[in-house]
Amino acid sequence: MLKNRVKELRARYGFTQSDLGKQVNVTRQTIAFIEKGEFSPSITLSLKLAKALQTNVNDLFWLEEDEEHEK
Amino acid sequence: MKSDFRMQYPLWMMGFIVVLGMFLFGVSSPTTTIVNSEREQSFLLELGPIGGLFAIGAVILYFLMMIVFYTQLKRHNKKNPSEKISIFPIRPPEYLEQDEGMTHITRKASQKVYTFMSWSLPLLAVFAMFSPFTRIYTVFAILVIALIQYGIYYREIRKHLKEEDE
Repeated sequence: MLKNRVKELRARYGFTQSDLGKQVNVTRQTIAFIEKGEFSPSITLSLKLAKALQTNVNDLFWLEEDEEHEK
Repeated sequence: MKSDFRMQYPLWMMGFIVVLGMFLFGVSSPTTTIVNSEREQSFLLELGPIGGLFAIGAVILYFLMMIVFYTQLKRHNKKNPSEKISIFPIRPPEYLEQDEGMTHITRKASQKVYTFMSWSLPLLAVFAMFSPFTRIYTVFAILVIALIQYGIYYREIRKHLKEEDE
Protein backbone atom coordinates (compact mmCIF):
# COMPACT_ATOMS: atom_id res chain seq x y z
CA MET A 1 0.00 0.00 0.00
CA LEU A 2 1.21 3.49 -0.83
CA LYS A 3 1.74 5.66 2.24
CA ASN A 4 2.26 9.41 2.17
CA ARG A 5 2.96 12.56 4.15
CA VAL A 6 0.65 14.82 2.15
CA LYS A 7 -1.60 15.61 5.12
CA GLU A 8 1.33 16.31 7.43
CA LEU A 9 3.12 18.62 5.00
CA ARG A 10 -0.09 20.32 3.93
CA ALA A 11 -0.79 21.16 7.57
CA ARG A 12 2.78 22.41 8.01
CA TYR A 13 2.30 24.94 5.21
CA GLY A 14 -1.20 25.82 6.38
CA PHE A 15 -2.94 24.72 3.21
CA THR A 16 -6.47 23.38 3.14
CA GLN A 17 -7.22 20.46 0.83
CA SER A 18 -8.86 22.94 -1.54
CA ASP A 19 -5.76 25.21 -1.54
CA LEU A 20 -3.49 22.31 -2.39
CA GLY A 21 -5.97 20.99 -4.95
CA LYS A 22 -5.95 24.37 -6.72
CA GLN A 23 -2.16 24.46 -6.76
CA VAL A 24 -1.88 21.08 -8.45
CA ASN A 25 -5.06 21.47 -10.51
CA VAL A 26 -7.21 18.71 -8.98
CA THR A 27 -10.36 18.69 -6.86
CA ARG A 28 -10.33 18.81 -3.07
CA GLN A 29 -11.77 15.30 -3.07
CA THR A 30 -8.76 13.93 -4.92
CA ILE A 31 -6.44 15.38 -2.28
CA ALA A 32 -8.62 13.72 0.37
CA PHE A 33 -8.45 10.35 -1.46
CA ILE A 34 -4.65 10.57 -1.64
CA GLU A 35 -4.32 11.47 2.04
CA LYS A 36 -6.53 8.56 3.06
CA GLY A 37 -4.55 6.21 0.81
CA GLU A 38 -7.65 5.41 -1.23
CA PHE A 39 -5.97 6.45 -4.43
CA SER A 40 -2.40 6.29 -5.73
CA PRO A 41 -1.67 9.39 -7.81
CA SER A 42 0.05 9.31 -11.18
CA ILE A 43 3.72 10.21 -11.48
CA THR A 44 2.77 13.62 -12.89
CA LEU A 45 0.47 14.42 -9.98
CA SER A 46 3.01 13.07 -7.46
CA LEU A 47 5.65 15.41 -8.89
CA LYS A 48 3.24 18.35 -8.78
CA LEU A 49 2.35 17.57 -5.16
CA ALA A 50 5.99 17.24 -4.18
CA LYS A 51 6.72 20.61 -5.78
CA ALA A 52 3.75 22.29 -4.08
CA LEU A 53 4.79 20.85 -0.71
CA GLN A 54 8.47 21.73 -1.28
CA THR A 55 9.79 18.23 -0.99
CA ASN A 56 10.65 15.36 -3.32
CA VAL A 57 8.51 12.40 -4.33
CA ASN A 58 10.57 9.91 -2.31
CA ASP A 59 9.94 11.84 0.88
CA LEU A 60 6.28 12.32 0.10
CA PHE A 61 5.34 8.78 -0.93
CA TRP A 62 6.64 5.36 0.03
CA LEU A 63 5.45 1.77 0.00
CA GLU A 64 4.30 0.29 3.30
CA GLU A 65 6.45 -2.80 2.72
CA ASP A 66 9.57 -0.58 2.35
CA GLU A 67 8.80 0.86 5.76
CA GLU A 68 8.68 -2.66 7.20
CA HIS A 69 12.02 -3.55 5.55
CA GLU A 70 13.67 -0.51 7.07
CA LYS A 71 12.59 -1.47 10.62
CA MET B 1 -20.13 18.00 -4.09
CA LYS B 2 -23.41 16.55 -2.84
CA SER B 3 -25.21 19.43 -4.53
CA ASP B 4 -23.50 18.64 -7.84
CA PHE B 5 -26.29 17.66 -10.22
CA ARG B 6 -24.13 14.89 -11.71
CA MET B 7 -24.07 13.24 -8.28
CA GLN B 8 -27.82 13.54 -7.93
CA TYR B 9 -28.42 12.22 -11.44
CA PRO B 10 -28.61 8.51 -10.41
CA LEU B 11 -31.21 9.45 -7.78
CA TRP B 12 -33.32 11.16 -10.44
CA MET B 13 -33.06 8.11 -12.67
CA MET B 14 -34.12 5.91 -9.75
CA GLY B 15 -37.10 8.21 -9.19
CA PHE B 16 -38.12 7.98 -12.85
CA ILE B 17 -37.81 4.19 -12.73
CA VAL B 18 -40.10 4.03 -9.68
CA VAL B 19 -42.66 6.21 -11.48
CA LEU B 20 -42.43 3.97 -14.53
CA GLY B 21 -43.00 0.97 -12.26
CA MET B 22 -46.08 2.67 -10.79
CA PHE B 23 -47.40 3.33 -14.28
CA LEU B 24 -46.71 -0.26 -15.28
CA PHE B 25 -48.57 -1.51 -12.22
CA GLY B 26 -51.49 0.75 -13.11
CA VAL B 27 -51.80 -0.41 -16.67
CA SER B 28 -50.89 -4.06 -16.06
CA SER B 29 -54.21 -5.15 -14.68
CA PRO B 30 -56.90 -3.68 -16.91
CA THR B 31 -59.90 -5.62 -18.06
CA THR B 32 -59.52 -6.18 -21.76
CA THR B 33 -62.33 -7.15 -24.07
CA ILE B 34 -61.51 -7.92 -27.66
CA VAL B 35 -64.24 -8.63 -30.15
CA ASN B 36 -63.06 -9.84 -33.51
CA SER B 37 -65.91 -11.22 -35.54
CA GLU B 38 -67.05 -10.92 -39.13
CA ARG B 39 -69.46 -8.14 -38.20
CA GLU B 40 -67.59 -6.36 -35.45
CA GLN B 41 -64.10 -5.50 -34.41
CA SER B 42 -63.60 -3.73 -31.10
CA PHE B 43 -61.08 -3.37 -28.31
CA LEU B 44 -62.20 -2.28 -24.83
CA LEU B 45 -59.75 -1.49 -22.06
CA GLU B 46 -61.08 -0.80 -18.56
CA LEU B 47 -58.88 0.36 -15.74
CA GLY B 48 -59.97 -0.43 -12.17
CA PRO B 49 -59.98 2.35 -9.53
CA ILE B 50 -56.61 1.37 -8.03
CA GLY B 51 -54.99 0.68 -11.40
CA GLY B 52 -56.36 3.95 -12.74
CA LEU B 53 -55.09 5.86 -9.73
CA PHE B 54 -51.58 4.43 -10.19
CA ALA B 55 -51.54 5.01 -13.94
CA ILE B 56 -52.87 8.58 -13.85
CA GLY B 57 -50.93 9.40 -10.68
CA ALA B 58 -47.73 8.16 -12.30
CA VAL B 59 -48.28 10.31 -15.40
CA ILE B 60 -48.91 13.42 -13.29
CA LEU B 61 -45.92 12.65 -11.07
CA TYR B 62 -43.76 12.03 -14.14
CA PHE B 63 -44.54 15.44 -15.62
CA LEU B 64 -43.99 17.20 -12.28
CA MET B 65 -40.64 15.43 -11.88
CA MET B 66 -39.67 16.31 -15.44
CA ILE B 67 -40.29 20.02 -14.74
CA VAL B 68 -38.11 19.96 -11.58
CA PHE B 69 -35.49 17.78 -13.32
CA TYR B 70 -35.10 20.15 -16.27
CA THR B 71 -35.02 23.19 -13.97
CA GLN B 72 -32.16 21.58 -12.02
CA LEU B 73 -30.42 20.59 -15.24
CA LYS B 74 -30.63 24.15 -16.60
CA ARG B 75 -29.32 25.52 -13.29
CA HIS B 76 -26.38 23.12 -13.41
CA ASN B 77 -25.55 24.05 -17.01
CA LYS B 78 -25.72 27.75 -16.16
CA LYS B 79 -23.39 27.28 -13.18
CA ASN B 80 -21.01 24.94 -15.03
CA PRO B 81 -20.73 26.15 -18.62
CA SER B 82 -17.64 23.98 -19.18
CA GLU B 83 -19.36 20.83 -17.88
CA LYS B 84 -22.79 21.06 -19.45
CA ILE B 85 -25.11 18.07 -19.34
CA SER B 86 -27.09 17.35 -22.46
CA ILE B 87 -30.85 16.84 -22.14
CA PHE B 88 -30.50 13.53 -23.98
CA PRO B 89 -27.01 12.36 -23.05
CA ILE B 90 -25.46 9.34 -24.75
CA ARG B 91 -22.65 9.11 -22.23
CA PRO B 92 -23.98 8.80 -18.64
CA PRO B 93 -23.66 12.28 -17.08
CA GLU B 94 -23.10 10.78 -13.61
CA TYR B 95 -19.49 9.97 -14.56
CA LEU B 96 -17.26 12.28 -12.53
CA GLU B 97 -14.04 12.81 -14.43
CA GLN B 98 -12.67 16.22 -13.49
CA ASP B 99 -9.31 14.73 -12.56
CA GLU B 100 -7.57 11.40 -11.99
CA GLY B 101 -8.93 10.98 -8.44
CA MET B 102 -12.54 11.43 -9.54
CA THR B 103 -11.95 9.17 -12.55
CA HIS B 104 -10.63 6.55 -10.14
CA ILE B 105 -13.80 6.49 -8.00
CA THR B 106 -16.02 6.60 -11.10
CA ARG B 107 -14.16 3.55 -12.40
CA LYS B 108 -14.59 1.74 -9.07
CA ALA B 109 -18.33 2.47 -9.04
CA SER B 110 -18.69 1.45 -12.70
CA GLN B 111 -16.85 -1.81 -12.00
CA LYS B 112 -19.28 -2.64 -9.20
CA VAL B 113 -22.22 -1.96 -11.50
CA TYR B 114 -20.63 -4.07 -14.26
CA THR B 115 -20.14 -6.95 -11.80
CA PHE B 116 -23.78 -6.73 -10.81
CA MET B 117 -24.95 -6.60 -14.42
CA SER B 118 -22.75 -9.52 -15.46
CA TRP B 119 -24.72 -11.93 -13.28
CA SER B 120 -28.10 -10.22 -13.05
CA LEU B 121 -28.69 -10.05 -16.82
CA PRO B 122 -28.16 -13.81 -17.44
CA LEU B 123 -30.42 -14.52 -14.45
CA LEU B 124 -33.03 -12.20 -15.90
CA ALA B 125 -32.78 -13.96 -19.25
CA VAL B 126 -33.39 -17.33 -17.56
CA PHE B 127 -36.28 -15.83 -15.59
CA ALA B 128 -37.80 -14.42 -18.78
CA MET B 129 -37.43 -17.77 -20.60
CA PHE B 130 -38.89 -20.04 -17.96
CA SER B 131 -41.07 -17.75 -15.88
CA PRO B 132 -44.67 -18.90 -15.61
CA PHE B 133 -45.65 -15.30 -14.97
CA THR B 134 -46.88 -12.86 -17.56
CA ARG B 135 -44.58 -10.61 -19.56
CA ILE B 136 -45.26 -7.74 -17.19
CA TYR B 137 -43.21 -9.42 -14.44
CA THR B 138 -40.20 -9.56 -16.75
CA VAL B 139 -40.57 -5.83 -17.35
CA PHE B 140 -40.80 -5.29 -13.58
CA ALA B 141 -37.62 -7.37 -13.14
CA ILE B 142 -35.82 -5.18 -15.72
CA LEU B 143 -36.89 -2.07 -13.80
CA VAL B 144 -35.66 -3.57 -10.52
CA ILE B 145 -32.26 -4.32 -12.09
CA ALA B 146 -32.03 -0.77 -13.44
CA LEU B 147 -32.98 0.58 -10.02
CA ILE B 148 -30.33 -1.53 -8.24
CA GLN B 149 -27.73 -0.55 -10.85
CA TYR B 150 -28.19 3.16 -10.12
CA GLY B 151 -28.32 2.40 -6.38
CA ILE B 152 -24.95 0.61 -6.48
CA TYR B 153 -23.37 3.43 -8.48
CA TYR B 154 -24.73 6.18 -6.22
CA ARG B 155 -23.78 4.37 -3.01
CA GLU B 156 -20.21 3.81 -4.16
CA ILE B 157 -19.68 7.42 -5.30
CA ARG B 158 -21.29 8.82 -2.17
CA LYS B 159 -19.13 6.64 0.07
CA HIS B 160 -16.05 8.43 -1.26
CA LEU B 161 -17.40 11.94 -1.50
CA LYS B 162 -17.99 13.20 1.98
CA GLU B 163 -18.01 16.92 2.40
CA GLU B 164 -15.64 17.43 5.33
CA ASP B 165 -12.83 19.84 4.45
CA GLU B 166 -9.63 19.78 6.46
